Amino acid sequence: MKRPALALATVVLVGLLPLVVHSPYLLHILILVLLAAALGLAWNVVGGWAGQYSVGHAAYFGIGGYTLSILVARGIAPGWGALAGMVIAVAISIVIGSICLRLRGAYFVLASIAVAEILRLTALAWKTLTNGAEGILINELPPLTLFGHVVTDFSGKEPFVYLALLLAFVGVAVNEALTRTKLGYMLQAIREDQDAAWSLGIPLAFYKNAALSISAALTALVGAVTAMYILFLDPHAAFGLEVSVQAVLICILGGIGTVAGPVLGAVVIVLLDEGLRTWLTQGHALVYGLLLVLAILFLPDGLMGLFRFRRKPPRAAPLPSAGGAP
Amino acid sequence: MATLLDVRAISKSFGGVQALRDVSFTVEQGTVLGLVGPNGSGKTTLFSCLTGFLKPTSGEAVFDGHALSGLSPARICTRGVVRTWQKVRPLAKLSVLDNVVVGALCRTSSLAKARELAREQLRLVRLDARVDALAGSLPIGERKKLEVARVLATQPRLLLLDEVMGGLNTAEKDDLSALIVELRKRGLSQIVIEHDMKAILRVSDRLVVLGSGQKLADGPPQDVVRDPAVVAAYLGEPIAAG
Repeated sequence: MKRPALALATVVLVGLLPLVVHSPYLLHILILVLLAAALGLAWNVVGGWAGQYSVGHAAYFGIGGYTLSILVARGIAPGWGALAGMVIAVAISIVIGSICLRLRGAYFVLASIAVAEILRLTALAWKTLTNGAEGILINELPPLTLFGHVVTDFSGKEPFVYLALLLAFVGVAVNEALTRTKLGYMLQAIREDQDAAWSLGIPLAFYKNAALSISAALTALVGAVTAMYILFLDPHAAFGLEVSVQAVLICILGGIGTVAGPVLGAVVIVLLDEGLRTWLTQGHALVYGLLLVLAILFLPDGLMGLFRFRRKPPRAAPLPSAGGAP
Repeated sequence: MATLLDVRAISKSFGGVQALRDVSFTVEQGTVLGLVGPNGSGKTTLFSCLTGFLKPTSGEAVFDGHALSGLSPARICTRGVVRTWQKVRPLAKLSVLDNVVVGALCRTSSLAKARELAREQLRLVRLDARVDALAGSLPIGERKKLEVARVLATQPRLLLLDEVMGGLNTAEKDDLSALIVELRKRGLSQIVIEHDMKAILRVSDRLVVLGSGQKLADGPPQDVVRDPAVVAAYLGEPIAAG
């Protein structure tokens, strides 16, 4: 019961931040961190818990972003746009999953990259729908109304802090739920050993597809909110390999298959990226890459690995019960 | 006694290699069938065919009146036929308890019930002191026991044990043979692959001998170990049956 309390306290604290912090730049960084956390948490469902390393999550991110942008440009409320994006992403994930999840290991990784690339090229080529390489500019977001009251007109950074916070919170809640449900156990068994899991009665295809669908829905939501925040989307920003890689890196750095890992990873990756960008301007990508390589080499279980080791020292093996074999 | 498993002329070839050739036998309800034979004689291939990991080239297995052909390993497990792995496959990063919980979740969606069932199986194989250890950290003897606890948690009707005593010391072997006998008393039917003839004679009601993918002998253990064909192909010298 300690972890949910910790999560709630964090949410409240972050939620209070915009009352004290007014610098648009700092709020912008906060939004980037929260969106990155939500992206990592979404990837973690299929990558971390089920062990299916998708390097093509840009597919779902882009579908979410593009669906929202296209619908908003046609005068539809962003809420419906985001929902439509999730539905389409889940539909596509089921098609992709039924084909690609049969593949194991590196073959699945390659297939997932290929699918995202196909969608990127489609977005480039289908000019009547997507505007091609020019991208889609959202001129104006209609205000969010609830029962006739205007909740927010999306001016300033604050609404997006709360929106991104909500996404990150949903991501944490879904990941936390996986630590205490049958679904979570099934996914972890699949991650550890697919054949063993199969022999124990776990229908592999069903659970892998379920994990991918949940992950796709969450990722599409992150894509939709990102599009609302930036107000501009082009095929590279939506479907580029960078998006897919970022989702994976956040989890690898923070700790794959943990609840807090992607959050930690997001904080470090965004701050590192932004910090190096302002500090080094030219060579930032080089140093960024180098630091990541070092982190992966020396932190095989991510930052959470450090944390767990300190909290739970290895303990002596208990003696076997009386009459038990050695 | 009712027939639980009817293996009908199963053959399996990999390219030009015939791993199994027209192997037929039956397992009666509540009995233990010992399956022995030299390395490469097709014992594990037969397990893989029975549990859906391999598709037999011809022939079929009928379990409790229903053919198992074409079913996935997961469906076959749900029907009540489950195997262990000769090379153990612990879910390394999960605890001992959680490994067995995964097996128990085959029959229930309630984690509480699954945990209760899992603890019961761990007590049975005497691993209950190790519930919190990571499965990947166990020594081989305990890994073999974990493997057995995990399949027991799926509440099988026919258990296929693939060399669960391989690599164990005498005390551990005695423990596992006692467990097989205990499970048989509780009415669980089993097919046991084992190289240790003393152990296999202790637990089996019947013995089937495979050699180069063919059935060499099938019958009461004490008769089978005196069979000249079995002696020539596998034993080398006759074994005094106890």
